[in-house]
Amino acid sequence: MDTLFWALAVIMAGGILPFVLYRQFRMMKAAAVIVTIAGSLLGLLAVLPALQDTGPPAVTWSWQHFLTLSFSLDALSAFFLVPIFLICPIAALYSFHYMDHPDDAWRIAVNYFFFAVLIVSMALVVCADSLITFALVWEVMSLSSFFLVVHDFQKKETRSAGYLYFIFAQTGAMCIFAAFGLIYSSTGSLSFALIDQLPAQTKLAVFLLALLGFGSKAGIFPLHIWLPHAHPAAPSHISAIMSGVMIKMGIYGIFRIYTLLGDTSLLFGQIILAAGMISGVLGVVYALGKHDIKRLLAYHSVENIGIILIGAGLGMIGIATGRPAMAVFGFAGSLLHVLNHSIFKSLLFMGAGAVLQKTGIRHVDELGGLIKRMPTTGRTFLVGSISISGLPPFNGFISEFLIYFAAFHGLTLPGMPFLLAALAIISLAVIGGLAAACFTKVVGIVFLGEPRSEGAARASEAQASMLVPMWLLALLCLFIGIFPEPFVRLAFSGLRDMTLLGPIEPGTGQELLANLAFAARLFLGMVIAVTLLRKVLYAKKKIASGPTWGCGFTQPNVRMQYTGTSYAMSVVEFFQPFVKIRAAYSGIRKIFPGRTTYETHVDDIAEIGMTRYLVQPLARTLDRLRWIQHGHIQLYIGYIVLTIIVLLLVF
Amino acid sequence: MINYSDAVLVIILLSVLIALESNRMVALVKIMGLQGIMVSLVPLFLPQHQELGSGGIIFFQIMILIKGLLIPGLLYFAVQKVAIKREVEPIIGYHASLFVGLMMIMVSLFITEKLQVTLPGGHSLLLITAITTLGAGLFLMMSRTKAITQVIGYLMLENGIYLVGTALSKQSHTRYVVEFGVLLDVLVGVMIMGIILHNINRAFDDVDTALLGRLKD
Amino acid sequence: MESILSCTLALLLAPLFPGVINKTKAFVASKKGPPLLMKYYTLAKLLRKGSVYSTSSSFVFKMGPTVSFAAAAMPLFFIPLAGLPPLFSFQGDVIVLFYIMGIGRFFTIVAALDTASPFEGMGAAREAFFSMLAEATIFAVLILFYRMNGSLSLAEYFHGDKAVSLTGPAGALLLFVIVAMFMVLLTENSRVPVDDPQTHLELTMIHEVMILDHSGPDLALIELGAFFKLFFYSAFITHLLQPLTSFGALANALIFYGVLTLVYVAVGVTESTMARFKMNLVPKYILTSFTLVFFAAILTMGFLQ
Repeated sequence: MDTLFWALAVIMAGGILPFVLYRQFRMMKAAAVIVTIAGSLLGLLAVLPALQDTGPPAVTWSWQHFLTLSFSLDALSAFFLVPIFLICPIAALYSFHYMDHPDDAWRIAVNYFFFAVLIVSMALVVCADSLITFALVWEVMSLSSFFLVVHDFQKKETRSAGYLYFIFAQTGAMCIFAAFGLIYSSTGSLSFALIDQLPAQTKLAVFLLALLGFGSKAGIFPLHIWLPHAHPAAPSHISAIMSGVMIKMGIYGIFRIYTLLGDTSLLFGQIILAAGMISGVLGVVYALGKHDIKRLLAYHSVENIGIILIGAGLGMIGIATGRPAMAVFGFAGSLLHVLNHSIFKSLLFMGAGAVLQKTGIRHVDELGGLIKRMPTTGRTFLVGSISISGLPPFNGFISEFLIYFAAFHGLTLPGMPFLLAALAIISLAVIGGLAAACFTKVVGIVFLGEPRSEGAARASEAQASMLVPMWLLALLCLFIGIFPEPFVRLAFSGLRDMTLLGPIEPGTGQELLANLAFAARLFLGMVIAVTLLRKVLYAKKKIASGPTWGCGFTQPNVRMQYTGTSYAMSVVEFFQPFVKIRAAYSGIRKIFPGRTTYETHVDDIAEIGMTRYLVQPLARTLDRLRWIQHGHIQLYIGYIVLTIIVLLLVF
Repeated sequence: MINYSDAVLVIILLSVLIALESNRMVALVKIMGLQGIMVSLVPLFLPQHQELGSGGIIFFQIMILIKGLLIPGLLYFAVQKVAIKREVEPIIGYHASLFVGLMMIMVSLFITEKLQVTLPGGHSLLLITAITTLGAGLFLMMSRTKAITQVIGYLMLENGIYLVGTALSKQSHTRYVVEFGVLLDVLVGVMIMGIILHNINRAFDDVDTALLGRLKD
Repeated sequence: MESILSCTLALLLAPLFPGVINKTKAFVASKKGPPLLMKYYTLAKLLRKGSVYSTSSSFVFKMGPTVSFAAAAMPLFFIPLAGLPPLFSFQGDVIVLFYIMGIGRFFTIVAALDTASPFEGMGAAREAFFSMLAEATIFAVLILFYRMNGSLSLAEYFHGDKAVSLTGPAGALLLFVIVAMFMVLLTENSRVPVDDPQTHLELTMIHEVMILDHSGPDLALIELGAFFKLFFYSAFITHLLQPLTSFGALANALIFYGVLTLVYVAVGVTESTMARFKMNLVPKYILTSFTLVFFAAILTMGFLQ
């Protein structure tokens, strides 16, 4: 535990140093980056023993009797610390060249400070061992990430994205606090230990409230609205951290509250599984419909959270129905997907950030041909795309496979659980197909073909400190795909302290993993063999180059290329009732028609629904109460006096 | 060996599904013909209906004749002669119809489980098929615009009822008498429909039920 | 050893069977048709040639044929052929295989988008959409098979004691699967009524338009990969149709390849008697196949309680 706190102290120091050094811009960045990396490596060192066997004893700090903070490190916490200490230093390294405006040195120093606060608070969230500790560090995490989102506060849209995020974070936190309040009122203790003694009704209420709260952080479907606004607004390395690591804290919360409640009823699993399927499918459909590259990636986070929840839900159903194999593979797949997603999603956000920095263009349909101008970014982005589509031999496939395996184990169940397991398999298949469709769109439109605008044509490769992180992450994607064994063991070890599950037999899945690795290597070997064969076939052959065959059209230009919008539209239309497509067509009116325009927008039904049925009625009602707010200070004092009197009389 | 009664029931379910998604009138009528034949064959394959007297055999032959040939033939005639447009024109789209079909089979599965009827010889599949066919018939009547599709929906409904009867009864010929009566009703209905359609067609040259709605006062 | 021989034989024979389709179509149209070995001649011709590459394209374009060929050949190592066990097999190999076919498709699509051609983009969009739907059907089939014999590998589906067959318990449900898999076969291998390999207008194509800019050995790899894929799906259906009883090795092989030829003939007959669907009807068609299998999967709740 001490090593961990030392690591956090070092990271914090990395956040404070920039305030001292902000006059030397490069030095400030270098200091912050190096110290953060050192702290994170120290942190990884601290986590490793906790993954092997039981972690260090809990640490408790008391202050003035009423505030007692306690931290402990069990297997689940240790597992979630891995992505934190793995991705954050890589993102920090990326920021060295990404934050390249010396004029804003002070603002960037502030950014590094909150960056450090965010890392520390995330690490503390997963280590928190009592209700009050958890609530406190959770708030610190939400606030620090809010300040990171509004880094470019001069822009109006950034500010409004920031407010949206703030509202969601605080409403979510309120739900969590309400759940904690319920627990406290029932057990009278702030410690985690007594939660499993709650009555069954309260357990359900606590679980649902916590699901709302953690779900809004994680981005479960109707609560995901802040994600597609906040991620594009934040700087790219921050998006990488937030999407790759921070939203996983919501998943951690769900795992934690489920373990603590110790309830094996089927309902929890069914709720989580249903939420996962909805988030997964609709997340990727909206991702297809969106064409701002960072917004699209944000919707993919919703999708991947969905996959993670499908795994978790299957695990819970496995526990409820007494199928240990289903439970182990479900939970393990879910945890491994947490790690995998943090790797490839941060890789993709970094790639998107590089594109954004070099072209200044966000819209997919204005880019193109970047793989020739930004070869490294293009190649690593391609790797990330294949991984996130869950295709072998990369890492996304391994975790999806484990979840599939759990779902297939669930097929032998009778009645409702069977149907859910079957639906889980179908939705995973559909999600896989849609994700592949979406990322062929991104790779094909952004990186391949011909540039569609000036900005894209003038792009150049990003600097070294941005490329190295992308290479690292891309290699990690391939490595996990080909050598899955140690990483699945890691996920298994994360489940060690889950008492509901019981101990996992040491040989579980060994053969399966060996076979998976074999298949991945066989395929890779085949691809290499065919590449060599192709070399042989092309030896001493005439190879010419010319323009693309225009199917008889003699004057092709770059504007004629297929766009991302048209590529995705038929799929999006297929999901019509769940997706609102707004089209505006000027029409052809006169005999010699002027300029015609055609526009389509894909609107989020969750956003529409929430505006129409929640925000607008609320605003109308609250409008009527305006008279309370009149501006006379004397009357405000009157309110205070009145409140105190009423409180004293009643309680 | 292949379990023939299951195979027949599966083919009936297949026909229900294809009827829900088919967009051509002629195809729809042909499928109804197939379904009619299959439905009338079902009792032959059930173990408790095995022994048949000569009366039974004649009955089944007439059954197949009416359900499989006569009614579809009349419908075919109506489609061809009355020059109805060949598209089905659904109110609820084909994709949605298919999903409704899926929902229907799930619901009928749960209904069958819920009913807990002591079915002779474990014929829960028969009851599932029956309820699905019944529901799909009702759905077809609700979700398609043309008058002729209403009749087809009604026909499917009748098939469903017949199957429910088969599932719930032991061998007794009295039931077939009732069944036969219903069948004749349907037959007369189809004939009348054909004649009326023919006349409407001559008078108005459109047979959309949406337009029939205007006849209300 | 026998398995290696049988697998090699399949790899060698795969280009023969599309010739059967063409012969069938020619027969129905009362024509003579191209020779049965036509596809071999075409492959040999393509392999002798050089290539022209578009100036718009990058290395991804050259990777397309390679990856898609490797992905198409993989499944043939895992499927039992002619009554013999496959080369490799493990629990869960079906999921891996269909995902490996997924990565093959990924690269075909990306390579098409790499040419900056509007037509190829159009084909790519359709391929991505339709194959996504077909994937749902395939996984519904896997659900049904798991309910029927509790395994997740092609070898155990079609070989050994637990193999699924029409005559087994709940075998009637396989009727659904046969129909649905035939529909998927037509979709995934871009045959009529989903796609017309013989059409002349690029606007109406799906697969053919995506490979418009490939030439020479690259095109040969793609074509050969397409033959493997068709062979895999046909073998899948053949296993469902063929009787399980085993005779001798030779008789098994004869029956297998006989039924396989019948499947190809059925494809040919379908192509001769049907027209290509309008593009907006294709999703409905694939969705029907999905509903059929999912129907069957739900019905297992009634069957196997």
